[in-house]
Amino acid sequence: MSSQAPAANPWTPPAVRPPRSIVRRPHWSLARRQAAFGVAIILPTLAVLAVFRFLPMVQALYLSVTAYDLVHPPRFVGWANFASLLHDPLFLKSARVSITYVVCSVVPVLPLSLGLAVLFNQSVFIKNVLRSAIFMPVVMPAVVMAVVWTFMYQQDGVVNTLLGFLGIDPVPWLRSSATALWAVILIGIWRATPYYMVIFLAGLQAIPADYYDAAKIDGAGRWGTFRYITLPLLKPTMLLVIVMNVIVAMKVFAVPMIMTGGGPADSTRVLPLFIYQTGFEFFDMGRAAAMSVFLFVAVMVFSFVQVRLFTRGAESR
Amino acid sequence: MSLSAFARTAPPARRKAPGRGWMRRRGAIVVSAVLTAVACVTLLPFYWMLSSSLRTMENMFRLPIQWLPWPPNWQAYALAWQAQDFTRYFLNSGLVAVAITLSNLLLCSLAGYSLTKFHYRGRGAMFLAILSTMMLPLEVTMVPLFLIIKRLDWANSYQGLIVPFLVDGFGVFLMRQYMMSIPKDLIDSARIDGASEFRIFWMIILPLCKPALVALAVFTFREAWDMYIWPLIIITKDSLRTLPLGISLFMSSYGTSWDQLMAIAVLGTLPMILLFFFLQRAFIQGIAATGLKE
Repeated sequence: MSSQAPAANPWTPPAVRPPRSIVRRPHWSLARRQAAFGVAIILPTLAVLAVFRFLPMVQALYLSVTAYDLVHPPRFVGWANFASLLHDPLFLKSARVSITYVVCSVVPVLPLSLGLAVLFNQSVFIKNVLRSAIFMPVVMPAVVMAVVWTFMYQQDGVVNTLLGFLGIDPVPWLRSSATALWAVILIGIWRATPYYMVIFLAGLQAIPADYYDAAKIDGAGRWGTFRYITLPLLKPTMLLVIVMNVIVAMKVFAVPMIMTGGGPADSTRVLPLFIYQTGFEFFDMGRAAAMSVFLFVAVMVFSFVQVRLFTRGAESR
Repeated sequence: MSLSAFARTAPPARRKAPGRGWMRRRGAIVVSAVLTAVACVTLLPFYWMLSSSLRTMENMFRLPIQWLPWPPNWQAYALAWQAQDFTRYFLNSGLVAVAITLSNLLLCSLAGYSLTKFHYRGRGAMFLAILSTMMLPLEVTMVPLFLIIKRLDWANSYQGLIVPFLVDGFGVFLMRQYMMSIPKDLIDSARIDGASEFRIFWMIILPLCKPALVALAVFTFREAWDMYIWPLIIITKDSLRTLPLGISLFMSSYGTSWDQLMAIAVLGTLPMILLFFFLQRAFIQGIAATGLKE
């Protein structure tokens, strides 16, 4: 179109320009604009997670092959950190302590929390009061828990006094390398049991009552109902509880840090505590990062199962 | 159902089994007795903490056990509170926990909304990426995370305590699961009415998510109030210490003043106990939601 001819004619109305706002908006379809909004609102989350979760993980892998003391720049040392860790009796001891802690604090929690949940799923007097009372350990902050139990574990503390009523000699809970880890494990059980009880309760309540009615009509007893209906239907929940509990147990830090600082004789130095001490007390960042990689692999194996459990259901919708 | 933790707020009323009332009641008595015994074990540390904070040091380890310290000795509370700047530690912990909770509420629900109600390329990958951050606990990443914070010059700062925890993979997962049950028609009809996208989120979606938001808030607040290892790493300045740091420091410097230690322990637990009693349902749902699957 030529613009000169009409412009020369004074009787032609001036060309109507569309309003600015329409001109400047890119020509996006409705669906595309909606998608853009969807991406925009997830970006802050992705940014935070990228900078403060993924980036540190990548950096941990890098640091694990360096020697770095915060003063001199990191120096590449190859597999030296890993190799020396595998020959370091302190590290092996720490790994053993962590494994003992995980196994011994996870295994008893499963029957305890499931048992409590099953009991609460029956008719109980003052159910809400009892449930709240049993739930209370979850409410206590970890640091407070460490302080209070340290007090209770004293040689002449209340735990030994109560054991005395049962005719048991005083136990040197936190003073002896033979018992300190068990003292820490007991607290772990004390706190984890009500937590997983709640998860089992949610799982139990999701089982349709019809199943129980049908079993009753078929003449199933209490044990039969539990064995052939409740347990199989709770299997995914049980798997999830084990996995979650293992991950939590692998990360335990505050309680051993405050109660024993890893002692006596390294008997309670769990892996996270050792990583902390190596990195922030001895400033051996490369070595600490290499230990983190070991911990990461362990956590990842179990988290992978957890993520699978989370997503399997999500996909089946 | 994934939402059973939300849907069934209170345990459903048990249908009365016909007849055999006495047998049922006897069973209930036995079960209640067992649970009462368990409750004694779970409550003992609470009782011991509280009673010891009111006991004088002379009576602290005296036998027979003084179960009820009488007259109560309140002195330990004042002494402990003045021994360190606990007012400041409380405020710091409160500020950090509130900030982390608010930002998680906003960011997790935005991300959950995006993941359920919008279609764009890479959505599934983003969800997996977010979910997989649950594999990267602080205990694994603390060394490099500390270096990042140091490079940002955020050591000894509120940003350093707050920003790395602005959002959490589990929170996103939780909100996503909950938002799946919100019908898309609701959003479409709001769009037809001319509401802007953000307005739809703010005025329609968020109010519908209230149960999930309350549960997420309580869960996040509890975790943030509990946080110990991270402040321990990046905070050295007294004025920035959070309560858990203050308590552990108090323990290492006043290790045998058990009355004062227990007094501080009581005060440090009190906010959680209050939260639990006022938002009991949400508190339990927040925990139950961590067991969400399918």
